[in-house]
Amino acid sequence: MATRIVTVDRNTRPGVGPILLGMWITLRNMLQTLFQRKGATIQYPEENRPVSTRYRGIHILTVRQDGSPKCVACYMCATVCPAECIYIEAGERPEKSIEKYPTRFEIDLLRCVYCGFCVDACPEEAIIMSRENNLVGTTRAELVIDRDRLMSRAETAEHGAGYRPDEHDVRRPVRLAALDRLSKEHGIVPGMPKR
Amino acid sequence: MPKFTIDGKELEVAAGTTVIQAASAAGIDIPHFCWHPDLPVDGNCRMCLVEVEKAPKLQIACNTQVTEGMVVHTSSPKAAEAHRTTLELLLINHPIDCPVCDQAGECYLQDQYMDHGLHDAQVEIEHKVHKRKVANLGPIMLDAERCVLCSRCLRFEREVTGTNLLEFKNRGNRTEITTFDGGPITHEYAGNLADVCPVGALLSHDFRFKMRVWFLEQTESVCGGCSTGCNTWIDARDGEVQRIRPRRNVEVNKSWICDPGRMLYKQFHVPERLTGARAKRGANWEGVALEAAIDELAAKLGEAGSASAFVATPQASNEDLFAFKALAEAQGGQLDFRVGNPQDKLHVRIDEVLQRADRNPNTQGCIDLGMGKDGVDAILVACRAGAVKALVLQGPELLRAAEAADAIAKVPFVAVMATHEEPALALAHLVLPAALWVEADGTYTNYQRRVQRAKKAVPAPGDAKPRFELALGLLRRRGHALAVVSARDLFVTLAKSVPDYTNLDYKALGFGGRALATAPERAGASAPAGA
Repeated sequence: MATRIVTVDRNTRPGVGPILLGMWITLRNMLQTLFQRKGATIQYPEENRPVSTRYRGIHILTVRQDGSPKCVACYMCATVCPAECIYIEAGERPEKSIEKYPTRFEIDLLRCVYCGFCVDACPEEAIIMSRENNLVGTTRAELVIDRDRLMSRAETAEHGAGYRPDEHDVRRPVRLAALDRLSKEHGIVPGMPKR
Repeated sequence: MPKFTIDGKELEVAAGTTVIQAASAAGIDIPHFCWHPDLPVDGNCRMCLVEVEKAPKLQIACNTQVTEGMVVHTSSPKAAEAHRTTLELLLINHPIDCPVCDQAGECYLQDQYMDHGLHDAQVEIEHKVHKRKVANLGPIMLDAERCVLCSRCLRFEREVTGTNLLEFKNRGNRTEITTFDGGPITHEYAGNLADVCPVGALLSHDFRFKMRVWFLEQTESVCGGCSTGCNTWIDARDGEVQRIRPRRNVEVNKSWICDPGRMLYKQFHVPERLTGARAKRGANWEGVALEAAIDELAAKLGEAGSASAFVATPQASNEDLFAFKALAEAQGGQLDFRVGNPQDKLHVRIDEVLQRADRNPNTQGCIDLGMGKDGVDAILVACRAGAVKALVLQGPELLRAAEAADAIAKVPFVAVMATHEEPALALAHLVLPAALWVEADGTYTNYQRRVQRAKKAVPAPGDAKPRFELALGLLRRRGHALAVVSARDLFVTLAKSVPDYTNLDYKALGFGGRALATAPERAGASAPAGA
């Protein structure tokens, strides 16, 4: 490939005007921040920037009224997770209506990419995300967050729930894609069988 | 040989072939629940309806024989609508608890809903008929709500095991399968019930909630539990075997395996597995690096020369045996494998279905490769006379034999290749860690003289190596290196020197193995001369 030569016009006019303009903008911002509090700076950590109600922060495992996890250990989140940061072990519950629950449920928050796919995949609304984005720890191990900590986060998450499925029907796109495939590949128009 | 057309493909099949058999052979998928290639046709699920030209109504593909000039459409609008209607009816009372169902991922209902159904449910969950859930039938868990009443399990009980433990009870939409009085399944083929069940109604107790099936990697293998040599799938995740399933081979095991064979995986990842070599120093054991241990054994063999003896194991693959025999021949030592005379039990059945009394996968391979030479008794006599300076055991069988203990005690150096820790190993002077049959490529010759291939499914733990690699290492050090690096090469070399195996290689063995001419002598007492 031939080298492309870019010619730059350096004959700009020297002068005081543009420099003064730039300094005025800086000075104006400084004065506004000092006296009118209009600037971009916020007083973190006393102050936090408001985030969207769909913010994807650290996860929460939701619980039933009796305090047990809503999660049924179906592994959908672990399956869909692109970072492979969710580890689940399933156990059996005595109640026949629920049968299965997670004996271990761990999320490696250092691997997590906060994509929210786990929330989309969950059939039980058992995993949702909070608006919390302060991820601080002194060891790696304490940022692998276990089942009980994930469950108690419902109370401890300071900023409330973030991304969760009740705003939109997350199953809809999956189903629409399947219906589309059916009509394209098999020529079947979905819907009720004709009576 | 009638000719017929199916979905525009013209096929010629044997007389008496049903439409669904012809279609599956041609790679055309006809949805079905109750039809199973190794069970009699029942025709109750009505899922496999196909449109046959000039027939007034749709026909079930599983019970319609192909006739000359027949024209079949499997996915015409009429057939597709029938599939969807049937599926909708089957799903009326289904609990749709896929998130907690172990069948999810290999469930006919799920697959067929996505391929043929996609209807909206018209029955609310609370209006569904409820049946027995989590009923414990011993090795099997029954969830009657998930059942589609295809009767595959009933036919399995009737036709394969002859036990008739399962039956339908009640009528109409309250029909469910049950054992008499809800008792447990008592035969040794219960695991197959979970396999034949197309949905999550019958599930393995052992596999319950252990793993989602889509995480599993499946590898073709052969069961190492007895001389029948059932074809299996090894399902593993992250180098750990999670379950063993039957792999269909009409000539050997059809679609079944026994429960003892299915449970063999429980011995794979246990603390007793040997992960490193060790040598006896005085009265104590000392761990040594594998290479150093092989060096040590090679040096001892060098000292012993032909005053050495070799005992092969019918647990080993043909490749292992061939390399071991090459070592014995290079050394000029005595060789045999018949500890406890497994060749006498090779054909003895211990039940009416699959299991045989010889619990070794490759006794026939030992016979074919000519491992039976001097006789174990002759070796023991030589040991007692002090004529054996080094004894190499391919497996720990001889150490377990009480009558051999005094003879072994007379041998100054005993080396053994073993997979698991056991008290008998205390009699040896050097222990080499060996890989199990799921941890190495290899071929096994079953009681029918069918040579079948088992692929490596998981890595061997620690330093453990396939037995053929240990033997090849010894051969190399003794200056008789074979020009092979893999089990595949080794089998080609083997095929050149063992008469009946001529022209065989892994490609020729294929998916279902290759049957050799029947053994001249069934009892195998006098082994045919090998190479």
